[in-house]
Amino acid sequence: MTQPQKRDQARWGAWAAWRAQHRTAASNSWQKLVAQPAVTGITWLVIAISLALPSALLLTLDNLRAVAGGVDRPPQLSVLLTGDTALPVARQLQRTLESWPEIDDVVLLDRELALSQFLRQTDLAAVMGSLASNPLPHTLIAMPVDASSEAVMTELGQRVQALSGIDRVIVDTRWVARLETALQAGWRWVLGLGTVMLMGAVLVLGNTLRLAIDARKDEILVVHLIGGSPAFARRPFLYLGLWYGLGGGMVATLLLMMMTWWMTGPVNTLFVLYESPQTMRVPGAFYPMTLTVLGGSLGLLSARLAAGRYFRQLMSGTAS
Amino acid sequence: MIEFDRVSRRFGQQDALRNLNLQVDKGEMALLTGHSGAGKSTLLRLLLLLDRPTGGQILVDGQSTQQIQGNAVGHYRRRFGVVFQEHRLLFDRNVHDNIALPLEIAGFSPQEASRRVRAALDKVGLLAKERADPTALSGGEQQRVAIARAVVARPEFLIADEPTGNLDPALSAEIMTLFEAFNQVGVTVLLATHDVSLIRRSDHRLMTLSAGQLMQAEVA
Repeated sequence: MTQPQKRDQARWGAWAAWRAQHRTAASNSWQKLVAQPAVTGITWLVIAISLALPSALLLTLDNLRAVAGGVDRPPQLSVLLTGDTALPVARQLQRTLESWPEIDDVVLLDRELALSQFLRQTDLAAVMGSLASNPLPHTLIAMPVDASSEAVMTELGQRVQALSGIDRVIVDTRWVARLETALQAGWRWVLGLGTVMLMGAVLVLGNTLRLAIDARKDEILVVHLIGGSPAFARRPFLYLGLWYGLGGGMVATLLLMMMTWWMTGPVNTLFVLYESPQTMRVPGAFYPMTLTVLGGSLGLLSARLAAGRYFRQLMSGTAS
Repeated sequence: MIEFDRVSRRFGQQDALRNLNLQVDKGEMALLTGHSGAGKSTLLRLLLLLDRPTGGQILVDGQSTQQIQGNAVGHYRRRFGVVFQEHRLLFDRNVHDNIALPLEIAGFSPQEASRRVRAALDKVGLLAKERADPTALSGGEQQRVAIARAVVARPEFLIADEPTGNLDPALSAEIMTLFEAFNQVGVTVLLATHDVSLIRRSDHRLMTLSAGQLMQAEVA
């Protein structure tokens, strides 16, 4: 048997060799991580904080949205007619408002219907029975074409108010629009803050990995000299980044769980006090999974960036 | 066979190698000498593609190394076992793992790698130190570990740059005997050294570099 044949026989499949190289790189990197518990712990915590803080804010928004969701209506004008307005007059007013170009649709709430509905929903039948007449006025609910700005709504309300037979105009859902907008702003705030914090995590991680690469440049050089590919030399550091990232993601999950657990009591009490059937939304499976995957990706990205720079220098011949 | 065909390497205004012609035959053992700065290291770096010539070409087994680029460079280097003056062992792993590194790169199974590592350690007489920490070894032992690492993947060529640089004469002779043993089983050996005692007792072809050119090629 010739020398090359023996060599091929001794070598196993390329796929098996590749897997073995990955296994070795992964376990060696893990051992290096475990050998430095302080550095590892701090790095994990830094990543965890950068991930957990935006997540906590996101969870808060999630909860607020759940509350706002219960009153999710488009902004509208409630037009209360004077008590002595008769139904035909109310119908006339409805048609008038409907003819306005700024108003999309008008619904008439008949006072008798409103009263019976009110009695059905509450236990105040006895109280109402003692009243001589129906205290509710006819009401028109007007949906404006353009409800985007408060100024438009207010101006429209004033013009409706000027018509005869009208007691009061309430722009009653304005706060919902405000909450919606606030939530939108909050969402952007979380997104912005999250992006910045993730960038911070990548930089911190990149620096940690750069130091790790620097401490092992002899190894890289020897691998380079004896014929290891750049991918082979880079592999331990990619795994190091992956372990840092995944660990950070898991610690972030733990932090978020702890925060949630700590908050659940008061928040649920608050829901009860606001007579909301809601309970606090907890992180479920989505958050841990996303945090872990995100952490791992960040780790790989940081390692890729840190190693890329170093290996470019190596290949351009500054190291010998 | 290694062949340098009118190879030049110029650094700025300085010629490290000038129109160098040199040949090492298959299965030969040759010594390369010359004072510091004569171009020995440059020659070895060019051969290992750590640097490229500014003129001429290097042929290995008749093939020009000029076209070897990218990933092919790694494959090319694996045909060589290299022993460095500063032995370049990795101190974060034991003797076994140091020697196993080329096998890991070449994709050997861990079992086969361990078998070969032990065979290489046996050849350099350090089988008992398999699990030792390289820092716990003497200078001579460290150099023998480096030699074991160079030969473990059974390269076609064994290149050494001042392998006895920091060793006393007795140890140098021991190392030299090792290289000769590898040469006898068919490995082409090229040894760069300015160790006079080593050169005197050797009966191999001696090539002397001076100012980037070959002075003489003789059998001592």
